[in-house]
Amino acid sequence: MEAGGWICLLAPLTGALAITLAGGRISRRTAGWVSTLTTFVAFGGALTAFVAAWGRDAHDRQELSTAYTWLAAGDFEVGFQILVDPLSTVMMLVVSGVGGLIVWYSMGYMAGDDEERRYFAYMSLFVFSMLMLVEAGNFLLLLVGWGLVGLASYLLIGFWHKRPEAVAAAKKAFVMNAIGDATFALAAVLLIWETGTLEYLGVFEQVDGLSSTTVNLVALGLLGGAVAKSAQIPLHTWLPDAMEGPTPVSALIHAATMVTAGVYLLVRAHPIFEAAVDVQHLAAILGVITLLAAGLIALVQWDIKRVIAYSTMSQIGYMFMAAGVGAYGYAIFHLMTHAFFKALLFLAAGVVIHHLADEQDIRRMGGLKDALPRTHLAFLVGTLALVGIPPFAGFWSKDAAISSTLALGGALGWTLYVGALAGVLLTGAYSFRLYYAVFHGTPAEARPEAHGHGHGEGPTSMLAPVGILAMLSVVGGLVSIPGVWHPFTHWVGESAEAVVEPTTAQDYLTSALAVALGLVGLFLARRAFQADRQLVTSPAAWQVLEHKLYFDELYDALFYRPAVALSNALRRNVEEPIVERSLEEIGSGTIEVGGGVGRLQSGLLRSYALAIAFAVAVLVVVFVAVR
Amino acid sequence: MGPGVGWYLIVAAILFGTGALGVMLRRSPLIVLLSLEIMLNAGSLTLIAFSRQQGNLDGQVFALAAMAVAAAEVAIGLGLIVAMARKDMPLDVDQASTLRG
Repeated sequence: MEAGGWICLLAPLTGALAITLAGGRISRRTAGWVSTLTTFVAFGGALTAFVAAWGRDAHDRQELSTAYTWLAAGDFEVGFQILVDPLSTVMMLVVSGVGGLIVWYSMGYMAGDDEERRYFAYMSLFVFSMLMLVEAGNFLLLLVGWGLVGLASYLLIGFWHKRPEAVAAAKKAFVMNAIGDATFALAAVLLIWETGTLEYLGVFEQVDGLSSTTVNLVALGLLGGAVAKSAQIPLHTWLPDAMEGPTPVSALIHAATMVTAGVYLLVRAHPIFEAAVDVQHLAAILGVITLLAAGLIALVQWDIKRVIAYSTMSQIGYMFMAAGVGAYGYAIFHLMTHAFFKALLFLAAGVVIHHLADEQDIRRMGGLKDALPRTHLAFLVGTLALVGIPPFAGFWSKDAAISSTLALGGALGWTLYVGALAGVLLTGAYSFRLYYAVFHGTPAEARPEAHGHGHGEGPTSMLAPVGILAMLSVVGGLVSIPGVWHPFTHWVGESAEAVVEPTTAQDYLTSALAVALGLVGLFLARRAFQADRQLVTSPAAWQVLEHKLYFDELYDALFYRPAVALSNALRRNVEEPIVERSLEEIGSGTIEVGGGVGRLQSGLLRSYALAIAFAVAVLVVVFVAVR
Repeated sequence: MGPGVGWYLIVAAILFGTGALGVMLRRSPLIVLLSLEIMLNAGSLTLIAFSRQQGNLDGQVFALAAMAVAAAEVAIGLGLIVAMARKDMPLDVDQASTLRG
């Protein structure tokens, strides 16, 4: 069990190091294969760990393996340790499995790029970091993985470093994430202070003994990290911009794995959040606000990848909602199915973008159904799964997440429930708006010629992962069927037992409502498409949504401009008059004194002799007088 | 046992004063060098006088060392003066003032 965990963790690191050290000695294609195969080796390790855990008794599935003591300061020790338990095995499988498929896909997508080897080294680094994040046995290693995925994300968003937009987006993502990393680190420091340990199990044992202020502060710090990493309001603005990176990167990091790390943290640290239940509910509220806001903004976007990015924010909102009300199993369930169908949507979008020679504007697409029949089918499957039409994966997970709020009950539960259902309507509308705009209608004129990759939709390395993910998006939800069986949620429940459990009646009611609303959204999008108009008809609303609810402008006014004004004021009033002037004065003063003293050096030997004699005479007089 | 050490010191002081005045007042580098030698010898004379008074040889050893230094100094100084003369430079220390600040 632990051997599988270590293999899973170290294989991608080996891949990243091998590609980096080999440099130009291996071909680009070899680099791609090294990266793909090591990721699949990691998947094999994860599978081994999973099977080993499966074969054990339910209470014996948690194993902490310490390689060595990493840090020691007095009584405080942190080991380099991994925790293999039901929750982390699921995450390992998702990360390495979906990751392997996407890296494989990259070999086709990135073929011919100038710096493929760098790309694959970064991808392997990312997979390693993400596995470190999910396998870490204590909060410090979790924080290490947390920082490393941020780094890999930064490197990959800015992969095309000659494009200023990509570089700006990478910086934005890094800075926004740094805010979350900082609150996370503060929470970790507070934990060391109060409990003297960072090991999950040690911390969770002592949660009951902590004061409520401490627990609330720790939970808030962790929530800050989760919100930034998972692009939830108010730290969400980096995710849409992150679409400047290559499409497989968007699929892997900004849809399937890294952005869901916040959900994983909420579930992993659930004893802390249960002790600080207000903060936990805050997570649910932020999730619902985000899913509504992102759904609305997605209605007016023109960039195919940005629509999917907002959809990702919205779906992670559902996961936050589920984790926030205490339905951990369903949060992770939705995380898994979302990884399947969102990766599928991104990869299918990548095929479209590839086919149209890097065109991303959906106004210049349309009618691609005939040119890309298989991609069309895959995209349709992904969209249906996203909207939650049975029997596709999203149906099972999203409806379970929504009905959990009903199980929570009370004013909060009902508000969340209504918000989440409204979100389903939005999901149906924006998803099918995108689907119709890309694949139906008449092809836009003056469309760029297709890539010279021969006929068809792309190389096998691109189509095979899309096909596998499409299959997973169809059947991936069948591991938890309300009223019939719940193996998945029971499995995750061994690590994080759910606080709320919806009744079967609540499940069925929610499913009926959600599917109906999803279909309403579909038909609204279809009607709008047939009438050749947009879903948002009011120009004022369009304006607001096109500016993404003015979050960027708000942050610009609140933080950026005051900071710039302060810096300029400091430069004018402190740097220039005090620091620079004082240096200049010291310089010119020295020159002046030197000029004055220089006049004493006349070059006349006799005057020097006179001065010496005079000085000696003075000295003699002084000595005699003093004696 | 001859005159007391005071007389020697008086002679040395007169010699030193003569030398110092020569350095300060004369402009010919040759005379300046000569005056320097007179000052050095005044120093040597005091060393030897005290050496005789104390009854040990330390002062005389110092005087020998001073003579060696003086010989080296004269060799360099005369060499410079000859070089200046060869370059048709004026033999006047007041005009050799290129190093003024």
